[in-house]
Amino acid sequence: MNKTMGILMIALALTIAIVPLFTDCLANGRTLTTADGRSVPMKCHWTALAEIGLAVPLALIGIFNLTSKRKETFRTLNVISIALGALVVLFPTVLIGVCANASMPCNLIEKPLLILSGILVMGASLVTLASTRNFIEPVAA
Amino acid sequence: MSAFQLAWKNISGNAFRNGVVSLCALLLSAFALFTTLVIRGAESSLRLTIDRLGADIVVVPEGSEAKIESALLMGIPARFWMPEDHVNKLAAIPGVDVVSPQLYLATLTGADCCSVSDMFMIAYDPSSDFTIQPWLEEELGNGLRVGEVVGGNYISATEGEQNIKVYGYLVTLKENLEPTGTGLDQTMFLTFDTAYDIASKSAVQAESQLVIPPDSISAALIKVKPGSDPQEVALQIIQKVPGVTPIESSDLFQSYRKQMTGLLRSILVILSVTWGLSVVLIGLVFSMAANERRKELGVLRALGATRRFVFRSLLAEASLLAFFGGVTGLAVASMAIFLFRKLIMVSLEIPFLLPSPVSLLLQIGAGLLLALFSVNLAALLPAFKISRQDPAVAMRE
Repeated sequence: MNKTMGILMIALALTIAIVPLFTDCLANGRTLTTADGRSVPMKCHWTALAEIGLAVPLALIGIFNLTSKRKETFRTLNVISIALGALVVLFPTVLIGVCANASMPCNLIEKPLLILSGILVMGASLVTLASTRNFIEPVAA
Repeated sequence: MSAFQLAWKNISGNAFRNGVVSLCALLLSAFALFTTLVIRGAESSLRLTIDRLGADIVVVPEGSEAKIESALLMGIPARFWMPEDHVNKLAAIPGVDVVSPQLYLATLTGADCCSVSDMFMIAYDPSSDFTIQPWLEEELGNGLRVGEVVGGNYISATEGEQNIKVYGYLVTLKENLEPTGTGLDQTMFLTFDTAYDIASKSAVQAESQLVIPPDSISAALIKVKPGSDPQEVALQIIQKVPGVTPIESSDLFQSYRKQMTGLLRSILVILSVTWGLSVVLIGLVFSMAANERRKELGVLRALGATRRFVFRSLLAEASLLAFFGGVTGLAVASMAIFLFRKLIMVSLEIPFLLPSPVSLLLQIGAGLLLALFSVNLAALLPAFKISRQDPAVAMRE
């Protein structure tokens, strides 16, 4: 179970890091024009960049879930990944946000995908935590 | 130990069987819920839009029927015109109670920072309107003044402000309408006076001018007198006012209804094939697992377990796997529908409205029952065969 969840966590981390970069408004050619005529990215782009910062530790947690053999390691890592999953949801909704117009590409794909991925990260972490309750550590040779 | 406890212990021992059966239940329940929600959501959305429109007949210029449907349902801006004096001709037809003209406009596409992009705008005449005005008077206590607008559910001003720039003209967003799941959610409603004010100032303030042809309207909404037959009134409109098409509210969105019927047929075929294949696959996996456990089940029978007990424990295993797979599938499908509803609308080109919590719970319950029924049906034959085997023969093999 832990190995399956580890693979799922790595896949989710890759989704969180990569997909928003191609579905934000900047990737779809939409920018904000300032009073002095400069084009700057809208906040959905900053959310996409911030999510990379969450995806890297999530991918590492996924790798450690695949390789670790200690009950305490599983517990600590998956408590951290629950917090990271919550942040994946909070960045596009509360902390940074996305564009206000509901028909913008970031509202169609980026935001819902990040919310779904964040919830799945939390779910996978909870399942791993639950499955480590009866985990028997291998005896050292 | 009860059959359920035995089943609970057994399902932790066979990862392959558990994975395949749960995955089949997950896919089946998720697909069934997803498609049901999309089809029912589109149906209720169409019904709500016709109710919101409130007109018995919509009169548009000949050849504009598809454009008005796309505009009202998908929010795709439409521009078509007919002479304003048609309003008087329509009002003179027996059976017509009220005629209310409307102008269909659109914002600029890809204009500067503060402007909204490509939005459908409906201008109405407050003196005759019977669709927006009564709702406004109920909500705001009065109608809209010049420069004020109401928006569909998705219309929003820049954060912290109430103004939206349209053709360089700042309009004030007074209120948002309840969601309909259609193009009305991304439509802005304004009065004729505001529309003409924007048009006159757009020549100076906007990158491109808003042009409203003089003495023209886009459509006329008609309410027939109580007791009058809308079909008969529509026939008279065709005879007396040339160059227009009357669309009865019952005939509105016919092309979308046909599209949805086609979609429903395809989905039913795919669902039936998926269901059949899942049942066969689960049956095969259960047969394999049951054959592997012939000795184990033989020992169980030799220790005094009845055929009925073995049969029940195998079905309990199937039910547990179906339950876990089904619940996961239904949760993921519900979340996906809720989060990606706008993307579904845009990519399938259908309107969509989320169901009420009670209706959603009923549909989730139906999805779970489908998963439980399918997995139990598939496991029935292998469980029956294995429970009837002779324990002595089973233990020797």
